[in-house]
Amino acid sequence: MSETITGSEAGGVAPPASGPWPIELDDVTVRYPNGVVALKNVSLSIAAGEMVAVVGLSGSGKSTMIRTVNGLVQPTGGRVTVGPHAVSELRGRALREARGDIGMIFQAFNLADRASVFHNALVGRFAHMPTWRTMLGLASAEDRDMVMRSLDSVGMLEKVWHRAGALSGGQKQRVAIARALSQEPAVMLADEPVASLDPPTAHAVMADLEDINASRGLTVLVNLHLMDLARQYTTRMIGLRAGEVVFDGPAATATDADFEAIYGRPVQARDRLGE
Amino acid sequence: MTALAVRAPIAPPRPRRLAVRIASWTVAAVVVGAFVGLDIEWDKLADLPGDLVHYGSLMFSDPDWSMLPEALRQTWRSVSMAWLGALLGVVLSTMLGIPAAEGVGPLWLRLPLRGLFAIIRAVPEVVIAIIILTVTGLTPFTGALALAIGGIGTHAKWTYETVESAPGGAVEAVRAGGGGLLATIRWGLWPVISPELASLALYRFEINVRTSAILGLIGVGGIGDMLTTYTQHRQWDTVGVLIIVVIVVTMTIDAVSGAIRRRIMEGAKVRGVDRSS
Amino acid sequence: MTGASSLATAERVARIPARPRTWPRTLGVVGVLAVLTALTATPALGGVEIDLGAIAKNWTNGADRIAQMLTPDLSVLPRTWQPLLETLQMAVVGAAISAALAIPLSMWAARPTNPRTPTRMAVRFVLNMIRAVPDLVYATILVAMVGVGALPGVITLVLFDVGIVVKLVSEAIDSADSAYMEAGRAAGGTQTQINRLTALPQTWPAYVSQVLYSLELNVRISAILGLVGAGGIGRLIDEMRGFYRYDALSTIVLEILIVVVFIELASNILRKRLR
Ligand SMILES: Nc1ncnc2c1ncn2[C@@H]1O[C@H](COP(=O)(O)OP(=O)(O)OP(=O)(O)O)[C@@H](O)[C@H]1O
Ligand SMILES: [Mg+2]
Repeated sequence: MSETITGSEAGGVAPPASGPWPIELDDVTVRYPNGVVALKNVSLSIAAGEMVAVVGLSGSGKSTMIRTVNGLVQPTGGRVTVGPHAVSELRGRALREARGDIGMIFQAFNLADRASVFHNALVGRFAHMPTWRTMLGLASAEDRDMVMRSLDSVGMLEKVWHRAGALSGGQKQRVAIARALSQEPAVMLADEPVASLDPPTAHAVMADLEDINASRGLTVLVNLHLMDLARQYTTRMIGLRAGEVVFDGPAATATDADFEAIYGRPVQARDRLGE
Repeated sequence: MTALAVRAPIAPPRPRRLAVRIASWTVAAVVVGAFVGLDIEWDKLADLPGDLVHYGSLMFSDPDWSMLPEALRQTWRSVSMAWLGALLGVVLSTMLGIPAAEGVGPLWLRLPLRGLFAIIRAVPEVVIAIIILTVTGLTPFTGALALAIGGIGTHAKWTYETVESAPGGAVEAVRAGGGGLLATIRWGLWPVISPELASLALYRFEINVRTSAILGLIGVGGIGDMLTTYTQHRQWDTVGVLIIVVIVVTMTIDAVSGAIRRRIMEGAKVRGVDRSS
Repeated sequence: MTGASSLATAERVARIPARPRTWPRTLGVVGVLAVLTALTATPALGGVEIDLGAIAKNWTNGADRIAQMLTPDLSVLPRTWQPLLETLQMAVVGAAISAALAIPLSMWAARPTNPRTPTRMAVRFVLNMIRAVPDLVYATILVAMVGVGALPGVITLVLFDVGIVVKLVSEAIDSADSAYMEAGRAAGGTQTQINRLTALPQTWPAYVSQVLYSLELNVRISAILGLVGAGGIGRLIDEMRGFYRYDALSTIVLEILIVVVFIELASNILRKRLR
């Protein structure tokens, strides 16, 4: 399949994305309706299959940036391109289809607590499922297999019929990862996926992301609070401060001076996450 | 479609809970039974749209606006009944409802109180009004009293439910500080539940505005009285005016009261945040 | 913290924030309540005449009625079965039809499940209008339109139930945390898909609980619907009232009590199990 296919098959079912995609931000500015400028002329180019961390203080614009990539936030200036999709120009159905190829993981997991693990993961099939099927609550055998395989790959298969609300934080985040994997995405976004987790679980989830990048070859863009995790798990780190890119380079080479540029103060012991 | 080539893992079978199944079938059977048992000519429903248009035009194409002043006077009377009924009913319900809450009153007090509320809930307001009118006659005062007493059934129940669902921490803190029952209520409970109770009190007023119209059926006055009379005499042009008045007044009261209730509850939320920080 | 505790006491006292003045607001609220109460209790303005003298003079009348009601006449029981059954059937049918209508309507009336402001406002407006008309007004007019019987009663109950169930359920959706919606959106789902697969299970407890509540209310309302000829046991209440048969009236009230308590118990059990 060629990468240019973004239209739909009969019945509004998008085909799975083919291969990892690059992400391109070209002079992107986001000004919220209340006047806050969360991103200022950010230009970035992330290659297909790269694993990139975005670090910065709270309020520096990390979430805003990652949300522009799947169009949850529309930039007020500039252009966002993900593989064949010009995300910042898409609306309605075309945007939904593009999102179907972009997985996303949230800090607060964003699961429907009262729905089963299965149905939460099935959410990842939305873009590949005709609406009538969803209405009847009928997943096709194909969708079902996809969901089961995703759950299996994060070790959550035995819990498939449990309620999402009854899981531990780490398990919830695994289900959320399975939900994103069920999309068969070409790109994986993660907005502080480990900020609500204890250190050992945080490392386990980061390892999962690393594995997704290594074995499936997905492009991974992950927001992190702590530079430590960025150094340990990613090859490239982008530092944001007040909506501007103040660092961009291999995570391992970031010095204490770079830390100061990103966080506005010298590095301290508590900036590190325990093992 | 290469993905399909990978064999899907064996998932645990989806649990089918027998109790849930039995419950769903029972509900389905009861509903079907009720539909079948009810002596209704459902085909009459087909005429309903036509009827609606016909009577709608009778009522609203040329409403008799000369009745407006009288309609407004009667509406004010209904609203007055609703207000006084709500005021008295809420005071009584709060006094009776708080001791009926688990963790506040003792069991020997709780049970009879809750029984009383249940009984009042079962007695239609109209029946309560029938009893009261032997004392105070066919007057709006009777309507207000019936609303107050009839309201105790549900309102006192909401009151004790609110108390019971209040976060227990505050009560325990006052208890731990050695407070007695009254001190506990005043300093532990009241600050936590008063916004919710105030909101419920306003809601009670909204309900009473509607119920006061029902009491018109037995002739205690107000807009409901007028509506029944004119509907029975099939004076549709007047009925149209009355319905418009009822809708406008009720929606206005709901909107104002709803806005106040939202402010009360939002204030409570802000204060809740303050406490935790 | 160590710095703060070493501050001089005087300095600390000076930093205690001033207690906000709440009494002007309290006074205002009490004032408004008092004025409203005074206005509504002024007969000259068309308000209610509070006639405590009548209570002092005639309270024995009421006591007599209550005494009569305390000795229920059970001989009327056989005549009550048929109308009581009809009341129950009307209550169930009304609740069932409105429950079915309430599912899509609640979703359309709540902000998270229907972000489109115009349709949401339209649905809410129509529902507010439906709720603004008292149930007995519907019954009276419908009886005049379609004739005496259970049909006008059932239609009345449906209108009434839809009004309250949709209002309460949509408010529950509005106030509940709906972060899971964002996950559905990020996966490229349509609002309908998100509502069906995640919002519906999340809303289920509120929905069931309100439908049960409406069933309970239906029994009580349909007890009086008969007064205007809309079927059910109200017909008998009207008859007994006409003959001053207060002892028979209390038998009917007792029956309603038993039914209502039974429904309440059943719904409490169901609600607990649903959590
Ligand atoms: N929906 C919104 N409307 C208005 N302003 C917003 C909105 N979302 C974020 N902002 C503002 O934009 C700026 C950047 O926010 P953003 O959420 O992107 O930061 P962040 O780096 O993700 O912070 P955190 O680490 O706390 O998640 C902040 O000043 C924030 O207040
Ligand atoms: Mg963020």
